[in-house]
Amino acid sequence: MKPLFKKIVQFYLKLFTKIILWRHKPFVIAVAGSTNKTVAKEYILKFLREKYGEEEVRGNPRSYNTEIGLPLAILFLESGESSFWKWWKILIQAKIEALFSRKFPSKLVLELGVEKKGDMEYLLEIVRPSWVVVTNIEGSYSDAQSNLDDVFEEIKLLARKMPKSGKLILNFDDERVKNLAEFSPSEVISYGISNEADARAENIKTTVQGQNFDFTFQGKYESVEIKKYGRHNVYAWMIAKIVKENL
Amino acid sequence: MELRASRIPGVVSLAQGVPSFDTPDAIKNAAIEAIQKGKVAKYSLAPGLLELREVITQKIEQENKFYDFEEEVIVTAGSIEAITATMLAILSPGDEVLVPDPTYTSYQPAIKVAGGRPVFVPLDEENHWAFDIAELEKRITPKTKALLFCNPNNPTGTIFTRNQLHAVAQLAIKHDFYILSDEVYKDFIFDAGEKFYSLAEMRGIRDRLIYIFSFSKAYAMTGWRVAYLATHHDLAKKILGVHDVLVTCAPVVSQYAALAALEMADSELAKYHAIYKQRRDLICKRLDKLKNIFEYQRPDSAYFVFPRIKEDILQKIAPGGGSKEFAIELLEKAKVATVPGAAFGPVGENHIRMCFGRSEEDINLAFDRLDDFFK
Repeated sequence: MKPLFKKIVQFYLKLFTKIILWRHKPFVIAVAGSTNKTVAKEYILKFLREKYGEEEVRGNPRSYNTEIGLPLAILFLESGESSFWKWWKILIQAKIEALFSRKFPSKLVLELGVEKKGDMEYLLEIVRPSWVVVTNIEGSYSDAQSNLDDVFEEIKLLARKMPKSGKLILNFDDERVKNLAEFSPSEVISYGISNEADARAENIKTTVQGQNFDFTFQGKYESVEIKKYGRHNVYAWMIAKIVKENL
Repeated sequence: MELRASRIPGVVSLAQGVPSFDTPDAIKNAAIEAIQKGKVAKYSLAPGLLELREVITQKIEQENKFYDFEEEVIVTAGSIEAITATMLAILSPGDEVLVPDPTYTSYQPAIKVAGGRPVFVPLDEENHWAFDIAELEKRITPKTKALLFCNPNNPTGTIFTRNQLHAVAQLAIKHDFYILSDEVYKDFIFDAGEKFYSLAEMRGIRDRLIYIFSFSKAYAMTGWRVAYLATHHDLAKKILGVHDVLVTCAPVVSQYAALAALEMADSELAKYHAIYKQRRDLICKRLDKLKNIFEYQRPDSAYFVFPRIKEDILQKIAPGGGSKEFAIELLEKAKVATVPGAAFGPVGENHIRMCFGRSEEDINLAFDRLDDFFK
């Protein structure tokens, strides 16, 4: 997309998204962090759909989580990729959705993708989440400090702008994420493997079929088996469980 | 053969296995954007960008393959680096590696670089180039460390069935060897008769299976040199040590291109699939008209066909010679470049490999010339 046209598309998508959110006022759960946003979002969607039904909960399709992707996700529209005409069609569809849609899910689970200063401020102009999940703040470069502090500042802004009635769900195994707790007016619920976390996974074992672990939260204990590998799937499961139990 | 062909003006090449397309715009634009945003100048983590590895695992989960993106996926500089790094990680000098015959030519040097010895296992041409499990087991010795194969197979364009692969997996468990499954052509399956099955779907062998995929063919990205492997974390750790020494990390610009490929290029992939299927049908139609010259197994996938040259024709065109001399005759007299089958292993002798990754015009021109040559 040419820069000028991109700005026009971005402006109108933002406008229509704000209109549709104002009209329907869904409960918004945001998932932020460097990685594991999509897996966490998918688990949350699965758990909430079990509780509230398929129609009531919607998430970003694929990883639509940036300045153009997020509005598309909320308006439930596909990307126009590099086609000028497809984007015009999308803007017309967006206007119709924003002004006339009758059905809209009561809960949105949205990934928020940030990589540089100012990204979060822009996304927060579109949507104000009631609950926020933060997965991790990690880098992809061998130079470990590479822009991680910028990402931290962006997510700190998100934590700061949360409502008092909100919930901030933080990974306490990640030092940067843990530090976010002091910046938010919302209640903090922590998860992780460390003893400090409110919701904990213990005795994690990898088997041929996936992983087993013991989950403890709010005085309850559960033995869990998931069919996927990797610690990030354990975190994602815990996040979804916390959301489901507290909503 | 490709080098030899380049010296002859006007040659139509069905030799090299590269797609005729340019990399899709969405991928190129994403790479340009990554450069402009200053994201490609530094080394990535040795196993690759986290976001790419994450998207890789999400993508392959749709194919029933489950891996931990943090510890079980390594982005490599092409699939041959994935194979070579794995060989260097698992082989000791003198170890043997089973390879199907015929198979991709670069496997042998990759095994030898690591001090290993390739051991050919003949495929059964009459049975659509299937594994002969008894023949395979006969060649297993105490020195057998791995089986390296590509599925769909290059040069035959055929796929291995679920039953055959299960039998291979049983042998790997019984005789304790690794399996490297190179699935670079997995996105180009043309006939729905047999659902493509990957050994990476079999959880019971994930500690001995190395799954390899390259972006080169599926997304017309041969020059970007980017691929990945996925395997159990213990083995991944060993391979990562070698990968780090060999390349530090895959080219970061190519990693961003690969990310865009997975996120934005599904429609191009579908387009290529449809075009290759048309070309497969075209090349088979043209080969059918040369029934007195060649007989062949119809490829189900990839973009290769591997016809056998009829004995009387071979002797007429290249008396006393084999597939190499035959291919040279085709090159010099008909100005059509192909790859002699012997390059893919002893069973490949008396065959030539033709690539239909080239345009329909090239295929038609090449076969018009072959028609004239064999008149």
